[in-house]
Amino acid sequence: MEKRSFVKRFVNPILIVFVLMSISWIGYNLSWRLDNDTVHHLLADVFGTLLFLSITFGVIVVYSTAFFRGASLLERVIASFVNPVIWVIKEVFRMFTSFSVTESLYFALNPLVVWLILGIIAQMGLIEIICRWRLKKRGEKVRVFNVPAILAFALGIFLVIILYAWGRGENVFSFYLEMYRAIFGPGVGI
Amino acid sequence: MSENKKKELFNSPVSRREILKAAGAASAAGMMGMMLPGISREAFAAPGGKPNIIFILSDNCNADFMGFMGHPFLKTPTLDRLAKEGIVFNRAFCTTGLCSPSRASFLTGMYPTTHGVKNNHTPWTGQKTIFMEYLKDAGYDTAFVGKFHLPGKGLPDLPFLDLFMSFTQKENQGSYYNCPLVVNGVETPSRKEYLIEETTDWALDFMNQGRENPFCLYLSYKTAHFPFLPPRDLAGIYEEEEVNLPKEVDSWLGRTNGNVFEGTMVGSIPALYRRYCEAITGMDREIGRVLNKIDEMGIGENTIVIYASDNGYMWGEHRIIGINWPYEESIKLPFIVRCPWLIDDPGTRRSQMVLNVDLAPTLLDIAGLPVPEDIEGESFIPFLKNGTAQGRKAWLFEYFKYFPENVPNIYGLRTETHKYFEFEKGLKPELYDLVVDPKEKRNLYGTAEGEALIPGMKAMLKELKAVKTM
Repeated sequence: MEKRSFVKRFVNPILIVFVLMSISWIGYNLSWRLDNDTVHHLLADVFGTLLFLSITFGVIVVYSTAFFRGASLLERVIASFVNPVIWVIKEVFRMFTSFSVTESLYFALNPLVVWLILGIIAQMGLIEIICRWRLKKRGEKVRVFNVPAILAFALGIFLVIILYAWGRGENVFSFYLEMYRAIFGPGVGI
Repeated sequence: MSENKKKELFNSPVSRREILKAAGAASAAGMMGMMLPGISREAFAAPGGKPNIIFILSDNCNADFMGFMGHPFLKTPTLDRLAKEGIVFNRAFCTTGLCSPSRASFLTGMYPTTHGVKNNHTPWTGQKTIFMEYLKDAGYDTAFVGKFHLPGKGLPDLPFLDLFMSFTQKENQGSYYNCPLVVNGVETPSRKEYLIEETTDWALDFMNQGRENPFCLYLSYKTAHFPFLPPRDLAGIYEEEEVNLPKEVDSWLGRTNGNVFEGTMVGSIPALYRRYCEAITGMDREIGRVLNKIDEMGIGENTIVIYASDNGYMWGEHRIIGINWPYEESIKLPFIVRCPWLIDDPGTRRSQMVLNVDLAPTLLDIAGLPVPEDIEGESFIPFLKNGTAQGRKAWLFEYFKYFPENVPNIYGLRTETHKYFEFEKGLKPELYDLVVDPKEKRNLYGTAEGEALIPGMKAMLKELKAVKTM
């Protein structure tokens, strides 16, 4: 595979999803201000769906594009996390409305973020396998299944399911709040 | 008592609270008959002596979600019956839009800044007295059955309770199905699958006990807290019903705008709304078992029954799912009182503003006990007797931030016609004319009309922070 420039193999894949995520976010948050209910709901459905897909499954586009443009494993992994991390940072800033800096940073560890990260790891493993399979179909000498990819997929999926199955996610959330209280008590300034 | 409170009392005609406190003290001293002109302890007395008390508390039940309130499809025949046989306060509120602080306010008659449970993380340390302790001292048999949900490790030791049945699972929220219990401090497996039925069973067992004393039963249901699971036979009964949500709601609202921690990540909002209604219908059926037990025991004429919720619940108004915020849907409570010996006009409504902090002084009052000095609520007994009696003019709303809900500290007030609240940071104040804008759509802050009102609101808020209600 040809190794493209850093911008083409690393930056552009990230930008594709980042632009989609940004437009979706803006579009969704403007949609409800429209007077026309039908248009509001249509736009909310479209932009809401695109926003969800770009945050949760944008790794499919980023990782595979980076892969076929010759990005190294490290570059692929980092690129896959950039947009979700940007989203989480945005959420942390949103929490500054009510909470201290440290509490807002702790928000970045909430169960939804944990699931997102685990889901991204699982997807990276699966996409790696699929991309290798495509390469092999093109005639390249490559092993389709490699241990890191299998481990990433299996472990990621397993933990996502187990953590949700454990009380439909409520137990994970309870643990998260217990840790919050252990660190912050009832809250900074309460 | 604060200097401001003293000033208010001394500068105005003797307040209702002072009258009732004097009457209570006189009653405790054994004096019956006329206490002060127009007020008679005999007028409050139950026919059979000290009355039985049953207080039923639900969880996150919006005040409009009852059949008699005109809900389009939700059936609540028991609550409808209770409203028909009693009176409904159609302006009842919690003084803070969060479970644990509101529950502590019901139990103590005090505001969060006084009882100390400021949010769902602040532990209950027993620093203030629960009203049932006074009732126990006065000869009542007492029981707390159901969701306690005051923060802290496990459940507190409450020796004044003859029966204390609750649960500690999931941050004291419990589970709708197969919830392990703690009964009088001992871990006890559940006897039934569905917690709400089990809760009623324990309540009925307590009522059934042969006794010479009057009893006070505090019956606290987990319904309708998320995940609002109904009993199995009622699951899906509203499946076909059309749900009319506010205009600002869309299909992704439950996963955005900070609503994710309400549990609405999975499933559509209309489906969750229907399940919420099914859970309430299930709870209504259980309350029916309690009323039937009262009938069976023949104690209806000497038992006061009060039903309320700890908070309301928002289903998308202002693009919010849940509670926390000071909007009407979040803080307005269902509040029904059946008290046959005091209410001459059952089936009617009362428009006086009552609060969660009023429960404790009311129940002490109805039991003929003096109301302690540190209680901040007011007895609403006079309103049961006289639907036109003057109610309070304004009250303080206070909210303390609760991680991870992104709502800053709030101080606000509600009068009979307006609502004003200020955020500690990040958001501009809000002011609403509730007469012309009951849905609080138009924030008057920053408008010419608002500019004229704000100085008075700020002054009143400053005073209310000291006196709490006026």
